[in-house]
Amino acid sequence: MRLLQKFKNKGKSSQYKGTSNYAYLATRVRAMKSKLVPKETYPRLMNMGISEITRFIQETEYKREIDELARTYSGVDLIEHGLNRNLAETFTKLIKISEGEPNHLITEYLRNYDIWNIKTLLRGKYYNASTDEIKEAFVSAGQLSYTFLSELAGKQSYSEVISVLEGTEYYSILKEYDETNLSDIENRLDKIYYNGLFNVISKSKSKDRKLFAKFIRTEIDIKNIKTLFRLKKAGVSQDEIVDLIIDGGLELSTNNIQKLLPLSYNDFIQALDQYSFWDSISDAVNSDTDSLINVETQLIKHSLKSASSFSHVYPLSIVPIMDYIISKRNEVNNLRIITRGKAANLSDEIIKNQLVI
Amino acid sequence: MAVEGVVMMDPAGLKAIGAGLAVGLTGIASGIAEKDIGSAAIGAMAENEALFGKGLILTVIPETIVIFGLVVALLIK
Repeated sequence: MRLLQKFKNKGKSSQYKGTSNYAYLATRVRAMKSKLVPKETYPRLMNMGISEITRFIQETEYKREIDELARTYSGVDLIEHGLNRNLAETFTKLIKISEGEPNHLITEYLRNYDIWNIKTLLRGKYYNASTDEIKEAFVSAGQLSYTFLSELAGKQSYSEVISVLEGTEYYSILKEYDETNLSDIENRLDKIYYNGLFNVISKSKSKDRKLFAKFIRTEIDIKNIKTLFRLKKAGVSQDEIVDLIIDGGLELSTNNIQKLLPLSYNDFIQALDQYSFWDSISDAVNSDTDSLINVETQLIKHSLKSASSFSHVYPLSIVPIMDYIISKRNEVNNLRIITRGKAANLSDEIIKNQLVI
Repeated sequence: MAVEGVVMMDPAGLKAIGAGLAVGLTGIASGIAEKDIGSAAIGAMAENEALFGKGLILTVIPETIVIFGLVVALLIK
């Protein structure tokens, strides 16, 4: 079947180098996933001190990064940087080991790290942070390399940074930046990311693209619902919310969101029970809870779970790779929550609530 | 001009073609089947070397197809 498809698409797919070879990529990524920190470890980590945690993650996949960085950093900073660098290297590795269509899709997906880094640069320059401070916050998992970013971080002002980025797709937005509209520029950068993704998806109608589209649109749903929860809770007016909503969700289409917007917080919660993620968040949601932490962790858990079950339905496709990307990101987040929480002397209860296991 | 006799195909030749097809086609079939398993095995091994044994065994399982082909070829002979 696939051979036949290959002949049919011969002309079309020649824009990407190489063939997909999902058998290799998906299995390798699955093997990488099996090396993630298992669920049972988190309660154990909760009982350790910072140095013990460092020691523990040094014995796992993070060994090389921790060894390299131990000269310059110590304590929580060491873990933080180790995690960031490992994340960047793991994602770069995904790009390296893939070819053809999955390579293209992964590259587009990881573009959000480029946007993250550009945001970091702008924010850093805005608050006059030192070059080193800005460099520390980079996660160079996207197209922009760490060396290139460090060079940018060394520039004197934001206008120099922006002029270097001329020619990239972000430039049209960045050139409107004038130190007063940072949040607006950031929102627009996020939107350009999703626009780019949708461009990629709409170009071709192959099975992979469809799966990829479904995955991305579910992610947008989760993002939108989180935004809605936060803003509804805070009582923000609907005109302001509209600007922050990302178009193109799977279940929460623009129409559905229009329906949700005018509702009060309680009615909004009532209206959510027709969506598939309701089952996972129903326990955490009630009108008188103060914090949305539970709701948000449940939402992330829902997206992780659906990605992983989705990856079993389509074992040889882009889905297991996307599943790995979000699981890895979640692992790094969890480890960071634990170490940062420990360093700030938060109680175990609070840290546990924040973890997404 | 007289016809110089009907050219008969030698049954032994047909047999040989049949045997050749049996081995050849099954060989291609196992090749296709092993392609994906082999690359998946390499992928898994790249991350975890302990999987070498399992990967090797799984990779050669479709080899049975060509063995059946070979058996059939020998039977035809």
